[in-house]
This record gives sequence, C-alpha cells and structure tokens, in this order.
Amino acid sequence: MSLLQLNQVSKIYGDLRALDKVSLSVEKGEWVAIMGPSGSGKSTMMNIIGAMDKPSEGEVLLDGRDISKENAKTLTNIRRDKIGLIFQQFHLVNYLTAVENVMVAQYYHSIPDEKEALNALERVGLRDRAKHLPSQLSGGEQQRVCIARALINYPEVILADEPTGNLDEANEGIVLDIFRQLHREGSTLIVVTHDPEVAEVAQRTIVLEHGRIAREVVNENFVP
Amino acid sequence: MKRQKMYFRMVVASLIRRRSRMLVALLAIAIGATILSGLVTIYYDVPRQMGAQFRGYGANMILLPQEENSMDMAAMEAALTHIPAESVSGAAPYRYETIRVNEQPIIIAGTDLQGAVAASPYWMITGELPSASGQALIGKEVASLLGLSVGASFTASYTPAQAETSENGVTQYQTMPFEVTGVLDTGGSEEQYIFLSSQDVEALTGEEGTLDVVQLSVNGSQQELEAYADAINGAVPQLAARLVKRVTQSETTVLTKLQSLVFLVTAVVLVLTMVCVATTMMAVVTERRKEIGLRKALGASNQSIIMEFMGEGLVLGALGGLLGSVLGFGFAQLVSTRVFNSSIRFQGLLVPITILVSVAVTALACLLPVRSATDIEPALVLKGE
Repeated sequence: MSLLQLNQVSKIYGDLRALDKVSLSVEKGEWVAIMGPSGSGKSTMMNIIGAMDKPSEGEVLLDGRDISKENAKTLTNIRRDKIGLIFQQFHLVNYLTAVENVMVAQYYHSIPDEKEALNALERVGLRDRAKHLPSQLSGGEQQRVCIARALINYPEVILADEPTGNLDEANEGIVLDIFRQLHREGSTLIVVTHDPEVAEVAQRTIVLEHGRIAREVVNENFVP
Repeated sequence: MKRQKMYFRMVVASLIRRRSRMLVALLAIAIGATILSGLVTIYYDVPRQMGAQFRGYGANMILLPQEENSMDMAAMEAALTHIPAESVSGAAPYRYETIRVNEQPIIIAGTDLQGAVAASPYWMITGELPSASGQALIGKEVASLLGLSVGASFTASYTPAQAETSENGVTQYQTMPFEVTGVLDTGGSEEQYIFLSSQDVEALTGEEGTLDVVQLSVNGSQQELEAYADAINGAVPQLAARLVKRVTQSETTVLTKLQSLVFLVTAVVLVLTMVCVATTMMAVVTERRKEIGLRKALGASNQSIIMEFMGEGLVLGALGGLLGSVLGFGFAQLVSTRVFNSSIRFQGLLVPITILVSVAVTALACLLPVRSATDIEPALVLKGE
C-alpha cells in the first residue's frame, strides 16, 4: 500500500479547475518532486497533500486513511502527527530562538524536549546557533531551522514548498544535502519546486500543467 | 520539559522579545487602569473630602434638653459615647444667661471656647480666644453697642432669679470684671452675645447650672448622622439629638450629585478605556495573523492558540492593572490636592479590583480578534500571503 495516494482528485473554484482529476501515488521512503509553471496547480496539490485544504472531488489516502472528507480539527491533528512542513519563506516565529522554534512543533505534537530539539538542529548543522533569534540567522540558516522543525516529530511525509526558492546556491546545496541524508534515513519527501536542479535530485518528478499531470519523469541518475 | 513550562517560555518570550509592541499595549492598558483607578478612588473619597468641607459650615447636630434644666455635662458626655470619637470635629456645650453691662442687658454664652471654634470653623475672631479666667470674646454687635474693643475691660452684673432685695429696695447682684481678648464676626446672631468660659459663667452666676444646647459638628453621611441621633435618643433620656437639616440635607444633595457626576465620568472612561485597549490588542493580534496561521499549520488547535494569546493578554492586563493602581492613586492624589486641598486615602482594595478589571478587559479585547484570527486558513501562510 502506498503511503500517499490521490485518486481522481479535483479542486474547483467556481469555473476554475485548479486540479483536474489528478491521481498520484507516493511510496514510503520515496523522494518526489512536483514541478510546473505558475497556475499549474502545484500549490493546490501541496495544500491538499498537506491536509490544509480538501479536494472538491476524489479521495486522498494518507497511510491508508481517506483524509479528503475530514473536518478541520481532524486535519489539524493529521498535520501535527503525520506531516512535516518546510516553507519557502521559512516562517519561523520571530521572537523565539532557533531551538524554541523547533520545540514549538514538539509542544503541539507531544512534550517539548530541548535536548531532542538541539539534536535536530545538530542534524542540520546549527547546534551552535540554537540560541539565536531568526533575525540573527541567514536565510539558509533559517531554512535549516525550518527543516529541523519539520523533522522533529518524525512525520510520515516531509512536504517542502519551494524550499530553496529564497536561498543562494551555496545554501541550496546544503539544503539538498540534508534532503539526501533524510532520504537515506528513510524519510518520504515531496518537494514542490519550479527549479529543475532541485527536481533533478529527486527520484521521480511529476510535472503539472493546467491542473493535470502532464508527465512523470523517473530520474535514472538518482543517487541515493 | 513540561508543556506548561514551554507555554510560559513562549508567553514570556513574546512579551520580552517583542517589548516595543508590548510596551504600546501595556501603556494603553496602564493609562486606562490609571484613569479608572483614579476616578474610583475619587468617587469613594468624595464624601470624606466634601464632608470635611461641609464641616466648615458649622454644627450639623444639636443636643437639646428633654425637660428644662435636665441636660448637664454628664448627659453630653454620655451622648458623645454614641458617636465615634474620630467623627466628632467639634463639640460645644452652651449655657445662656442674661447679664447687664453698663445697665444694658446682654446675653452671655458659657461654653468650651476651643470646642465652639472647632464646631464653627467659620467664626472670624479679631484678637484672640480667651485663655484664662476673666477674659471674654464679644460679638461684633455687642462691641459696637458697648463701645468695646480688644484690650478693653467691662464689668458684668448678674442678678440671680431669686435675688434678694435690701431694705432700701435695692436688688442684690453679683459682679465680675472681664477683659476683651477678641471680637467675633460671624454675620449671624452670635454677634449679639458675649462668650465666656463655662467656669467664668459659673463663677459669675454662682450656680453650676445646666446646658441649654450642645452644638456638634460630626463627619458622616445623613444616614450615619441619623443613626447616631437615634442611638443617643434611645440611650440618653435627658436630652434629644436633632440634625440641623439645612446643613445635612444640603450636604447630602451636593454629595449625591457630585458622586453621580464622578460615577458617570468613570463609566464613560471605562467604556473608552475598553475601546482603546480592545483596539490596541486587536492591532497587536492582527499583525500576528501570519504567526497564528503558521501555528495552525504546525498542528496547533484553535484552543491552544487562544490560550497562548490569552496568556499574553492576562500578563499584560495584570501588569497594566498594577501599574494603573499606583499611577491612579497618584492621579487621585493630584486631583484631591488641587480641588480639596487635602491628601487622599489609599484604598487598598482598589489594587486587586483594578488588576481584575484590567485583566478582564484585556482578555475580552484579546479574545475577539484571536477567535477571529483562528478562522484563517494555514494554507495562506504556506503560500506566503
């Protein structure tokens, strides 16, 4: 059974079909990139996979459970328990330190553990920046804090929206290295991007156009 | 780490690390609490302040004998035990007799002169109060009639009711010399009297005598004064306690109107304060909509988000209330000093009340925008909108 399965999923806003009968499967431990131009439906798919929106039609199975009809409270619990989110704009709480930002995710999930949060920061190479506020961190460092926060609760799926969109080349390389490491450790990664270089490092790339899957590319040169 | 510890860590971090924003909110709450606390302090202190002002208009309670010659000093002392000592501003027992000075009939009033001045602070005395035997305070009209002034002397003649008449038909009378130490100007009937100490009246008349009236100046509301009078009337049969209606009713009317005015102003200020604090807190919460969306995206329940923002609001409300209590007392003190020329009493109970009201107003002001903000879709945050 696939970890994530979209069956004939559509999202309709008035006359606009942002997603049009999309079907997709993602296996546990897989690294999938979702590409497409603006307006292709990437963000809509991201929101539906991330349990932040519900489809108008079709079903979304996450770990075998259909989440397409769940209410807002249940979707919140699913996000908390099963999904790790990484944002293009990092979205760290600006008055909390790096380690506290990681602990916020723990706080909503279970019990905050500073030692564990520090270990997560160590995994992304930021142990020595744990007590710094976001304003004292570079963009790349903020994104790595965001990744540490996404990892801290051992989610079923790590969902990244343009994770390197605001980073320079050096930091993009660091983030992709972290993704490789996460993949080697068995994490399931779904990365929404418009950057072909970011998509190329994934196992498989789904290309969306006008709300439909235009093509699917398996990376023959994928290096685990 | 326990969840509560992380909760407090987040609340404290928000308050301390966003201090410029929080100071604006704290200032709004503190200003509201200051004005509220100050006005309530004034509201409760107005009766005391105005009571003190009204005492300047003279006695507001009198004691009269139930039957002729029935009221003596012992009866007055017994009556005074029914009024708290700290409430009695002045007590003046009066015994009136008629004497002759230069063959002119004049009424003398034997009294405790210090007590008389305390009971009638509006007396204007040229010279000094008598301080020894043989000294007199004379009314302005008496001074004019007899041509006396401060430092002058006169001889008082008293004819007892059962005076003996000599064989040649001359009535026997008693005389005593007095020196004028002061002239009394009141604009009232007191100007027609000569005021002597009770001891000198006894010496002149040769009789211990009884009291004709006791004038009391008592601090208290009309209800309290009526209660004192009832207690005296029930316990001391020799005398009757009566309120001087023109003073007590005027005082009650003015106080009621003044308190109503302060109450109205306080109510209006409370509403304005709530609006001001609510607006400030709404602005503070609204600018954090993105943070609320992020927390929701991370899996926070609406209840959890409300609790976090309420925690900040409660701390701000408590701090603002505490600050407002202190500043409010200063504000009330300033008003009292300027208007009533006297200091104000610290109302300890107002501190917890002000804090509670501030907390309640802030919590209410936070609750509405936070509840509204929890309706936002976390997806908007993800898109960076």
